[in-house]
Amino acid sequence: MSYDSDLNFTFAHTPKLVFGAGVVSELGSTVGEMGFSRAVVVTDSFLAEKTDLLERVKKSLGPRFAGAFTGVIPDPTADSIDQGAEQARSLGADVLVSLGGGSAIDTAKGMAVVLTEGGKVLDHEGYHALTRRQTPHLAIPTTAGTGSEMTMILVVKDPARGQKTFIGSYFLHPDLAVLDPTLITGLPAKLTAATGLDALSHAVESLLSTLRNPFSDACALEAMRLIDANLLRCLEKPDDLAARGQMLIAAALAGSAFSNAMVILNHALAHTVGARYGIHHGTANAMFLPLTMRHFIDVASDRLALAARALQIDGADGPDEQAARALADHVARLIAAAGINDRLADYGVEENDLPAIADMAMSDGSIIYSPKPVFDPEEIVGLLRQAL
Amino acid sequence: MPIDFPSEEWTVAYREALNNSEAYREAGKNWTHGPIALVVKADPAIGLEKDTAFILDLHEGVCRKAWLTEDMAEAEQQPFCITGNYGQWKQVIRKELDPIRGMMQGKLKLKGNLPVIVRFVKAAQELVNATSVVDTHFLDE
Repeated sequence: MSYDSDLNFTFAHTPKLVFGAGVVSELGSTVGEMGFSRAVVVTDSFLAEKTDLLERVKKSLGPRFAGAFTGVIPDPTADSIDQGAEQARSLGADVLVSLGGGSAIDTAKGMAVVLTEGGKVLDHEGYHALTRRQTPHLAIPTTAGTGSEMTMILVVKDPARGQKTFIGSYFLHPDLAVLDPTLITGLPAKLTAATGLDALSHAVESLLSTLRNPFSDACALEAMRLIDANLLRCLEKPDDLAARGQMLIAAALAGSAFSNAMVILNHALAHTVGARYGIHHGTANAMFLPLTMRHFIDVASDRLALAARALQIDGADGPDEQAARALADHVARLIAAAGINDRLADYGVEENDLPAIADMAMSDGSIIYSPKPVFDPEEIVGLLRQAL
Repeated sequence: MPIDFPSEEWTVAYREALNNSEAYREAGKNWTHGPIALVVKADPAIGLEKDTAFILDLHEGVCRKAWLTEDMAEAEQQPFCITGNYGQWKQVIRKELDPIRGMMQGKLKLKGNLPVIVRFVKAAQELVNATSVVDTHFLDE
């Protein structure tokens, strides 16, 4: 596989990452070394009340713990972010510490913007419109999936307009990502599988994206290799710290990959069925992933073959197209083995719903980075039918 | 006779080119999201002393009005405001830089709702294609 002569890209990611079992216990001293004294933890009520994770972070921060905002909600709304910022301001925060999945990390990114720039979070919607460093933010993921700890994007739901919007900026990368596998051993099996397969989708889609580059490809390939080797181990033995840790690393690598190369048709489909039928984002991505891979074999067999060889799967040594098909089959088996066997019909989707889903997916921004243009909704209907 | 970019004359010619473009009319027919401001950052070395913006009042495949302004507050209050330096806009006009890719890479800065912009990727391409109809003189050449 080679790159075009007009290769032209920017690659950026979270500047510092610490990894290790138990490293969260070093958070307090890290915060002190960075010169901060009033850390506000951003998390959700479940983690705060039903687990010991907030207590562990609080204990590590010691006197630097200024308080917690526990109002993070799934798919954060602009209001929830503004409320969090108001609380953090009243607590005198000089650093935010997000603890949770993508929603907690995105909420903290939005709060950081409001704390620095003022106003409300939606006043700052746009891409690369921020011009200075934002309030410092340390991200501690408690799922191995979204990779938000490595990305420059936050997704905000604006109920007033009935849509999601983005704020993207290199100034939104967290200052530090803390990857501690001891924080995720309690993740339920279904969530472990769905979030892990979300990370796999990020990796595969960034590899297929028209915005891919050698750095995003390197991250994507290693993420795929680690997920292939460790996802089922996590499901079989949830307290396997080595496997959990490698899944955390894989999710972060995939986050770096897609933050720079973006995602494609697969995420457009997942966003659409997620919004219409409430299907979990990771599950929805998994439902479509092998189909998407096969759909693009005619234009991207070289990249998929490269991944097949990185994973050393059976059939990888053949011609590119054969290796690419073997990879798609292998991914389908991995998804099934992880217990994600969901079909669209399980969520009430019927054949006559497919054109409307296809139309909606056509207007999802992710679709434009697909390795060949998708102009005809009928193409998408064909894919959806296979997932029915 | 090539027309200086940016200038009032170029803005008028571009609006005419856009409204003569069947391809843009079709691709932008569902655009009801308001005007777009395109800001060219000042570059005194080539004689562009102040930040300058084109504001395009686009609606359902038609450019209803287009004007040039040096009032950045006016540009920034539009629903979409895209900012780049002279060289970057020159690359866009010459089709060397895809505007949406440019936004993704941080070469062009967008204030506004990104998902709305990317839904109209074909219209964005046609906005760029229409510039090729205008015989353009770049200030740095």
